[in-house]
Amino acid sequence: MTSTIKLTRSDRVFHIFIDAALALILALLIIPIWSTLTLSFRPNDFIGSALDGMILPPWKWSTAAYKALLGHRSFLSAAGNSFRIFFEGVITALFFTVPLAYALSIKTLPGRKLLYGIVLVPYLFNPGLVPNYLLVTKLGLTNTLAAVFLPGAVSVYNTLIMKSFFEELPEELKESARIDGASELTVLLKIILPLSKPILLTIGLYYGVHFWNDFFNAMLYINDAKLQPLPILLRNILLSSGMNEYVEANAFGEAPIYAIKAASVFLAAIPMLVAYPFIQRYFVKGTMLGSIKG
Amino acid sequence: MEGQSILLKNPVSHTLWRRIVRHKSIYLVASLSFIYFIIFKYVPIWNAQIAFRDFQALEGVTGSPWIGFKNFSDFVNSYYFWELIRNTVFYSLGKMLFSVPAAVFLAVALYECRVFWLRKTVQTMAYLPHFLSWVIMYAILLAILSPSNGILNDFIKVFGGEPISFMTDTKAFPWIVILSDTWKETGWSAIIFLAALMGIDPCLFEAAAVEGASAWQRVRYITLPAIKPVIVVVVLLKLGTVLDAGFNQIFMLYSLPVYSVADIIDTWIYRQGILEFRFGLATAVGLFKGVFGLLLLVGSNKLIKRYTGNGLY
Repeated sequence: MTSTIKLTRSDRVFHIFIDAALALILALLIIPIWSTLTLSFRPNDFIGSALDGMILPPWKWSTAAYKALLGHRSFLSAAGNSFRIFFEGVITALFFTVPLAYALSIKTLPGRKLLYGIVLVPYLFNPGLVPNYLLVTKLGLTNTLAAVFLPGAVSVYNTLIMKSFFEELPEELKESARIDGASELTVLLKIILPLSKPILLTIGLYYGVHFWNDFFNAMLYINDAKLQPLPILLRNILLSSGMNEYVEANAFGEAPIYAIKAASVFLAAIPMLVAYPFIQRYFVKGTMLGSIKG
Repeated sequence: MEGQSILLKNPVSHTLWRRIVRHKSIYLVASLSFIYFIIFKYVPIWNAQIAFRDFQALEGVTGSPWIGFKNFSDFVNSYYFWELIRNTVFYSLGKMLFSVPAAVFLAVALYECRVFWLRKTVQTMAYLPHFLSWVIMYAILLAILSPSNGILNDFIKVFGGEPISFMTDTKAFPWIVILSDTWKETGWSAIIFLAALMGIDPCLFEAAAVEGASAWQRVRYITLPAIKPVIVVVVLLKLGTVLDAGFNQIFMLYSLPVYSVADIIDTWIYRQGILEFRFGLATAVGLFKGVFGLLLLVGSNKLIKRYTGNGLY
């Protein structure tokens, strides 16, 4: 459009304004991350302000903080627990979410309305923290990794997004399989699921990111230090002012505490940063479905 | 006559039964999710009755004595009540006032931007923080605001000022909460506006160009009116969840010196319920919040339905 019509002066000003605004937004987004990143690489003998630190050339960076963390037993065990929570959580969540979303997507299913009501009530009414806490402790989930992901293993929001996706698959595909005598379960396993890889990946990663980031359930239900996931360890490291056992003199070697703090969050964020480009491809569609149609 | 009525009646029940049988495997797999829902979503609703009981751990949920609305009146009459409501509503509305205009601006700017790489880079960077946890956000905030290593305090020191401990300052804390939320969520919130912009009929722009409209006028008279319904829906949705002021964020960022300006309903419930073991009281407050939340959500959904003809559920 703009290529065929000569830009007026005011339009040029408009585009300069837009581009400048976006450049400013980009800077505001990058500066905090960059300052944390450079903080994590700052050497022990560094002298100068944080601003000097931000323009320190990479060949003067020190990886001591990362080495210290990766060589530390409690960090490795926390990372292991977090990976287990991630994978076990995603599998559990999809195991419960997919059949529910599929059942809700079958328009001819007797009892569908009732099922929908059962799913919707907890979405609209949340009885709060303590009733959930009583349940999880009563089930004996205290000090198990399942306590982190099981209470949130079915998100109504994610279920509804997935349901919308199933509904949009062409009806003819399911019909032709049914005419050939396939049972509903076969239709789900052989026809629907292979076509649903994008939504399974997206919803799976939504769940995964949520479980990976969770510190609240872990804080509530896990006291055993061996079972602590990363966010709890990070929180302990971040809240320690230097007196804490985690950062006691030799716990993390030579690296300064602020570098340890900054480095720990980058290590914890790596799996998410790896997953991010995959989700990014699909989440625009996902959020649209969820927020408009429900 | 008899034969006819059987003929008329049977097919209905017959097909219903056949439909049920046809879907038996679906019922089977969905029943597991159903059981999950009963245990993890409905048992807590059942447990919420302890709001009306003097809960004793040994007696359990149904064994503890009834005390009526005492827990509720204790809360409503407590010194904290108005402070908690005020802080909760303040943070919800404050975040909305900043993040909605920011997201609209970002969406329009991304939509109008003709520099491909700039648009893509801003998009990628803007969506990313949504996926960072508040633990990570706290570390990033420390890198900016910490009195000893933060860049903001470095600026203050360069200009000869005394470093400020922002995170424990009651004046600075509300700004930190609102602005850090804006930083984290604006990009994500912009997605929905961007999607609405993508749906604008290009004919409108062509017509505007023929009429000699400037780019500013295009935004003013086509783009913004096109996303106005979405803005209304987003605002109504946020009003529906006004009692959720962001537990994870406040819990991660607050500390004793700023409790008076930071404490929201959810953080208070956590401290009373889990740390002080006042289960009945904490449940009552949670129920209070749950019931108001339900009313707000149903109300906002009604308004959305009236406004767009399409509800959320």
